[in-house]
Amino acid sequence: MATQTESESSGGGVLMRDRLVKRVGEVAAGGFVLAIGGLLAWILSTQVDYDLLASPLIARRFAEAFFLVIQIVVISSLLSVSLGVLVGLGRISTSNVTGRIAKGYVEFFRGTPLLFQLFVIYFGVPRLWATGEFPFTDWAIPAAIIGLTLNHGAYVGEAIRGGIDAVPNGQMEAARSLGMSRVMALRQVVLPQAWRNALAAIGNDQIILVKDTSLLTVIAVPEIMSVFRNINSNQLDPWTPLVWVCVLYLAITMSMSQLVNGLERRSDWGSDSRMFGRLSGLGSGDDDGGEET
Amino acid sequence: MTGPLVEFDGVDKSFGDTQVLYDVDVDVDEGEVVVVIGPSGSGKSTLLRCANRLEEIQGGDIRLDGRSVIETDVNEIRQQIGMVFQSFNLFPHKTALENVALAPEKVKGEPEAEAKRAASDLLDRVGLADQAESYPGALSGGQQQRVAIARALAMEPRVMLFDEVTSALDPELVGEVLDVIEGLAADGMTMVLVTHEMGFAREVGDRIVLMADGRVVERTETRSFFDEPSTERGQQFLSRLL
Repeated sequence: MATQTESESSGGGVLMRDRLVKRVGEVAAGGFVLAIGGLLAWILSTQVDYDLLASPLIARRFAEAFFLVIQIVVISSLLSVSLGVLVGLGRISTSNVTGRIAKGYVEFFRGTPLLFQLFVIYFGVPRLWATGEFPFTDWAIPAAIIGLTLNHGAYVGEAIRGGIDAVPNGQMEAARSLGMSRVMALRQVVLPQAWRNALAAIGNDQIILVKDTSLLTVIAVPEIMSVFRNINSNQLDPWTPLVWVCVLYLAITMSMSQLVNGLERRSDWGSDSRMFGRLSGLGSGDDDGGEET
Repeated sequence: MTGPLVEFDGVDKSFGDTQVLYDVDVDVDEGEVVVVIGPSGSGKSTLLRCANRLEEIQGGDIRLDGRSVIETDVNEIRQQIGMVFQSFNLFPHKTALENVALAPEKVKGEPEAEAKRAASDLLDRVGLADQAESYPGALSGGQQQRVAIARALAMEPRVMLFDEVTSALDPELVGEVLDVIEGLAADGMTMVLVTHEMGFAREVGDRIVLMADGRVVERTETRSFFDEPSTERGQQFLSRLL
């Protein structure tokens, strides 16, 4: 933020334009907030039935759906991140076979809709057994977890690969020149850095995973959107349950971004020495003070 | 056996169709400091990188203590050849102490406490005992390079390779790194240095190898090289510098 003032040292014309753009931006953003805020206030005061909103009946149904979604999210998250690490490693494998399989996997699961994948697993897979012989009686939740894991494993895999690619080559060389094997160098040196590079992208993807659970309503998982649809069609009142839906999703996604922020802070190793290693010769921030190089 | 410790014997190296080393012969005796100089792109760094097989060679052989580097297990050979890079390449997620202790612990299987104790001694030797718990990001370039030297020494290599280790440093930080290298030379460490610091080459080098266009053009005692280079290329090179 403070660096924006740097532009003020340049010519008067540019200065005027910078200020103008800033003002226009402020007016646009402020106008947007006022419009949305007004609409929201109007909806909350005229459309929402607060007796229904607080009634134990719908509170209990939303709470059940909420805890189910949390369970599905936790399991799918853990599985998809683990799978993603394997896919990311496959993508950088020196073996052509592994690399291509990982690439094909990513292409397929990123290239087809999650809904299609869920249908394949939920409707398609049980038909591979003779009638009545499919071992799962309640297939919806396992199918949901499998679908979310396979789909998001592909995205996490790409994030991990990007994170590995962003680690300077010199790191691998330095580790190898100390006598480490490639696998050891990956494990000890490259992956911890790749993980940090990929964290933001992985966190982003996991938040999308949370929202993707809303698709599970079409494969009969009693999650949050299903509860909404049910209450809406019984009460003919969309806005009251929508308030619940909004609050519950935000509760999960916002705590998730807190978690990601925490993880990012934990892997912040002082100033960014990776850039330093790459650009080198710039001196460390502390040492060269105001000196220009 | 009293042959040279490191022997480059007719080394040819190509990147694709481009040949960058032609029939390079260099011997390094035990305890000797050989300084490789020459214009940019003459193949100096590539020659070093061939020695610990960061690059594979296409012809000739490189021997360490009479044993072909090419035919030895790569991870084993690298434990005996320490390398320090222009860009330090410290591990940013490890403290200075952990950077130094990592390879002895993981590669040699030393117990953690022992590796850390040895690492601590090495940091002391490069004058950084007080920075043991600092992460590389908090160290100056000169300090990072000294940690990198300690990290290479931790594997107790038989020879150390220095690849333009001061080129990336601010001028006022060069001295502290050169002092450490000089200390190693005084302790009898066998070293091959690629450098542009001619004053330093003159001071610390036992022998100078001048390279140009992928070939060794002059190979001589340090003093006689700087006083009266025997080849025209050597004279040209020096006249441009001095």
